[in-house]
Amino acid sequence: MDQKALSLWQLQRGDTALISRYSDAIAENYRRRLQELGFRPGAKVICTAAPSLGAPKLFRVDNAVYSLDKLVAREIYAESQA
Amino acid sequence: MKDVLVVGSPNSGKTLLFNRLTGLKQKVANFPGVTVSTHAGIASFDPSLQLVDFPGVYSLHTISGEEEVAVRAFQQAIKTSEQTKSVLCVLDATRLEKGLFFALQVREACIAAGLPFVAACNMIDILDKHELTLDIDGLGRELGAPVIGLSAKSGYGIERLQEVLSSNNISAPAPDLKLLARDEGWERNRAEQLAHAYGPKGDLLLKSHSRLDDFFLHSVTGGAAFFVIMFSLFQAIFTWASPMMDAVESLLGWCAEVVVPFISNDIAADFVRDAIFGGVGAFLVFVPQIFVLTLVVGTLEDSGYLARAAVICHRPLNAFGLTGKSFVPMLSGVACAIPAIYAARTIESPRKRWLTYMAIPLMPCSARLPVYALLIAAFIPNETIAGGLLGLQGLAMFGIYLFGIVTALLVTAAISRVTPQEAQDAPFVLEMPPYRIPSWQSILRGAVERAGYFVKKAGPVIFWITMVIWFLGYFPNQGQDLSQSYLATVGRLIEPLFQPLGLDWKYGIAILASFVAREVFVGTLGTLYGIEDATENVVSLATRVQDSGMPLASGVALLVFFAVAAQCVSTLATLYREGGSAKLPLQLLVGYGLLSYALAWCAFALLS
Repeated sequence: MDQKALSLWQLQRGDTALISRYSDAIAENYRRRLQELGFRPGAKVICTAAPSLGAPKLFRVDNAVYSLDKLVAREIYAESQA
Repeated sequence: MKDVLVVGSPNSGKTLLFNRLTGLKQKVANFPGVTVSTHAGIASFDPSLQLVDFPGVYSLHTISGEEEVAVRAFQQAIKTSEQTKSVLCVLDATRLEKGLFFALQVREACIAAGLPFVAACNMIDILDKHELTLDIDGLGRELGAPVIGLSAKSGYGIERLQEVLSSNNISAPAPDLKLLARDEGWERNRAEQLAHAYGPKGDLLLKSHSRLDDFFLHSVTGGAAFFVIMFSLFQAIFTWASPMMDAVESLLGWCAEVVVPFISNDIAADFVRDAIFGGVGAFLVFVPQIFVLTLVVGTLEDSGYLARAAVICHRPLNAFGLTGKSFVPMLSGVACAIPAIYAARTIESPRKRWLTYMAIPLMPCSARLPVYALLIAAFIPNETIAGGLLGLQGLAMFGIYLFGIVTALLVTAAISRVTPQEAQDAPFVLEMPPYRIPSWQSILRGAVERAGYFVKKAGPVIFWITMVIWFLGYFPNQGQDLSQSYLATVGRLIEPLFQPLGLDWKYGIAILASFVAREVFVGTLGTLYGIEDATENVVSLATRVQDSGMPLASGVALLVFFAVAAQCVSTLATLYREGGSAKLPLQLLVGYGLLSYALAWCAFALLS
C-alpha cells in the first residue's frame, strides 16, 4: 500500500484531501454510488466533523456533506493537502 | 388527462413543490428519503394535468431493491409517452452540482423518450438570503430546456413554473452535441462544469452549521443533547398535553350530563353513557398526547437534527445488528409503526432493513400511549421531584418507553447473532441536511392531521368493538349485574390465562379485544366499568382502575405486556405487504406474544 496515501477515515476535523483511489474491498455498485455523490478521484474532500468513540465522520464534497462510517471511509484513499 | 412526472434527489424539496402544485399535503421533512412511494394529484392550476411524485433517488443507477422499484416505475412512466406530458426535475439550488448530476441523467432519459424536460431550481430564497445568484438563463441554454428558479416554501417562481407546465410549446431537449464521449462518470464531470459556470459563487455551508455539528456530534455535549432531547420528548407528552387532556375530559363529562337526561329510553341512555362517553370518550381523552408527540417529532424532523442523531446512534446501533439509518424509522415508530415500516425502505442493506422491521413493532407507538397513560395515571402519583423539574408520571412514561426500546435492541442483537451475515453489506453513507428553523405552520398542520387521522382510523374500530362489548356486557340482565352477563361467561373462560398476572376476566376481555388495535383496550375497559358502575356519573377511567383494587404488580405486568406484544393488525398487514410473505408477521405475532406474556409474568412475580 502507498504509505503516503491516507484513508478518509484517517482525516481529522478541518483536514482537506484529494481523493486518489478506492480499495478493491468496495463492491462496484457502491463505488459507483460514492463517485456519483462526489467522492470521485481528484475531488476535494474536507472533513467537517470527526466525532469520537468511532462514530461516522462528516465529509464535505462540493456543497454537500455526507456521513461515512469507518467501514467505507477506510477504503477510500486520499492525498492530504496542507 | 396527461401526467407530469416529478423527480429529484432526496431532500431537494420535491414533495413540498408537489404539495404546492396540487394542494395536497404529502408528508415533508428535513432529511433524505421521506417520500418512499409514488403519489399522484391533480394540478390545482390546470385540471387537465396530473402530477406524479416519485421517491427521491440519487441516480438512475440503483444500488438497492427499493431504488430499483422507484427507478423502474419512472422508466416505465416515460415509456408511456402518450400518457406523459413532461418530466419536472427538482434540484436543490444550494447544492446544484448534486442535483444537476441526477438532472442530466433524467434529461438523457427524456431525450431518448422524446419527452419535454423542465428543471426547477428550488430554494432560491436561501440563495437570496445569502446574496448569491444562479444564472438560470445560462443553465437553461446549456440544458436546452426551461429552467425555473423558485422557492416551494415561499411560493416565489411558482406561477412561472405553472405556465411552463401548462404550455403546449415545450419539446424534448436536443441531444448535447458537445458531449461526444459518454464514458463512466460523464454526468458528474458535466454537472461540475455547469455548476461552476452557472451556479452560485460562494460558500453556502455556513460556519454556524459546522459549529452546531461540533456541539451535536461531540462525544460529551452531543450525547448529553441527545439524551435531553429524547427525555424532553417523553416529559412533553405528559406535561404539555395535560391541560388539553383535562379540557377534553371536562368537555366529555359536560356533554354526557347535558345529553343523557334527554334520552327517555333507559337502554339507549345507558348505551350513550357507558359505550359512547365511557368507552369511545375514554379513548378521545388521550388524543392530545398523540398531538403533542407528533408536534415534537415533527420539530426534530424539520430542524435537520434527526440525521445527526442517526450519526450519533450508528455505532451503538451497530452493536445491536442495526445501522444509524435504522434510527429514523425507529423514531417514526414512536408515532406509528406503519410509516416507520415504509421509512425503513431507505436502508439499503436487506439484512439491516429486516432487523429494523423486527425492532419497529416494539417501539412505543402512539396506540400504546393511551394504555400507558391510563395505567400510569392510575398507579403513579401526579407529583414532581427535583424542585418541580421532573414529573413522576413523565418519568414513568420515559421508563416504559425505554423498556420498549431496550427490548427491541436486545431482540435484534440476539437475532443478528444467530442468523448468517451478508457477504458485503451496504456502506453507511448518509447525507446531512442543513440545519433549519422548523416551519411551525407545517409542523402544527402535521400534528393536527396525525391526531385527526388517529381518531378517524381508530375511532370506527373502537366504536364497533365497544358496541359489541357493551351489548354482551349489558345483556341479558339489562346492566343490573355485569358478573352475570354474556361477556362475563366468555371472560371466565379465558380468565385462567390472565390470572397468573393478577388480572380478572374484565382485563382478559380488554386484552383480547386489543389484538385488533391496542387503543381498543381503553375503550373496552371504559365500557365495562361504565356498565358495572350503575350510577349516573361519568368518572375518569383512571379513577375507576384505582378503585377496582388492582395491585401495582398487575399494573406493571400489563404495562410490560403492552410494551412487547404485537397487537396491531395494520402493522402486521403492512409487514406482509413490504416483505411479500406472511412469515415475518406471523413470527412476530407469535414470538412477541409469548415473550410479552413471559416478561409480564416475571414482572408480576417480582413485584407481588
